[in-house]
Amino acid sequence: MGRDAGGAANKINLIPQDFFAELCEQIIHHLNHKIPGVNTAELCQRIQTSGIEINIGDLAKIANILSFLFSTAARNNLSTEELVTTLGSAVSTLPKHALQVIRHVWNEQGKSITAAEDARNVATVGQFVDMKWKLGVAMSSDTCRSLKYPYVTVTLTVADPSGQITDKSFEMTIPQFKNFFRQFKEMASVLETV
Amino acid sequence: MAAPEPPPPEGSRPLSALLGGIAQAAFHGNAAVTDELLRGQLYPEAPPEEFRALRAKMGGLLQSIASADMDLNQLEAFLTAQTKKQGGITSDQAAVIAKFWKNHRTSIHESLINQSRWDNVLKNMNWRVDLKSQLRHIDQINTPVAIVEMEVGKNGQESEFLCLEFDEAKVNQMLKKLSEIEESMTLLTQTT
Repeated sequence: MGRDAGGAANKINLIPQDFFAELCEQIIHHLNHKIPGVNTAELCQRIQTSGIEINIGDLAKIANILSFLFSTAARNNLSTEELVTTLGSAVSTLPKHALQVIRHVWNEQGKSITAAEDARNVATVGQFVDMKWKLGVAMSSDTCRSLKYPYVTVTLTVADPSGQITDKSFEMTIPQFKNFFRQFKEMASVLETV
Repeated sequence: MAAPEPPPPEGSRPLSALLGGIAQAAFHGNAAVTDELLRGQLYPEAPPEEFRALRAKMGGLLQSIASADMDLNQLEAFLTAQTKKQGGITSDQAAVIAKFWKNHRTSIHESLINQSRWDNVLKNMNWRVDLKSQLRHIDQINTPVAIVEMEVGKNGQESEFLCLEFDEAKVNQMLKKLSEIEESMTLLTQTT
């Protein structure tokens, strides 16, 4: 849990146990792909109605942190005790009831996320971070004195699901590059219309 | 004095086929096309020594032509010079070679290019657009993302499949860079 945890943990103090449990459950169901997302606005309204002063930004932050916590734990197949250890120093700042809820939720439902995450991560979808390129012309080689073919070398900077950043390089001929470009243009137009 | 050539039975067809066989072996890496196969198929009556000499001569010429990636002018000059020299070629043979090169120049040149691509190449690319739901930032629930799969690897070796996610901003970032490349390419083709 990062620097935000300090501020957020303070706000966690405000949330009554049953609302906190509901929040955790929703997050788990979201990670299980059972629901598309956590309805923070609706939950926030109900908490406010019960007299607690918490704003939606704070609730969202808390939800983010919990989601990150649970999905990281799922990816690393952590047991409940290991999960609590991950909380590290934040454990002492968390209200007892919050810790209790986290333990309970993880005990009951942690395994189901692990299974869902595994299935989804089979293809190891990484995030595109950046791209470097160079354009070269191969002039000559041992098998051909007059090669003279232009090519593009591209290096993609990629973040894999665990957050590790790596570079992947490859070469394209001009026709391949033109096709590559065309495909991305098509992608852009589809993304726009969806 | 040119060594006696095996009489071309049906005009230029065996020579044309011989050139094809030589190209298969030398440029397209086809190990099944052996000299014995060529002789048996195309010049069965010819004594082995004569066939070997013919094959060597034609192979050498084709190698020179391919290595220089000769255009039609260069080719004409080259072949004319060959017809004029000792142990050269006949003008009929020159015509067959010229026709062969016109038809196969592009594919032979492409093979030679591939032979010199030793680094990872992009072998294939597929993509789809998904509606992604995630919690990271509240405003990212149900955003469309492009999932792109790229097959990358060295020629003749196992590929790695890169599966990457691009949101609209990232696609635009990519498009910007690709435009830069295209601009550079245009400048390059203007100056070469």
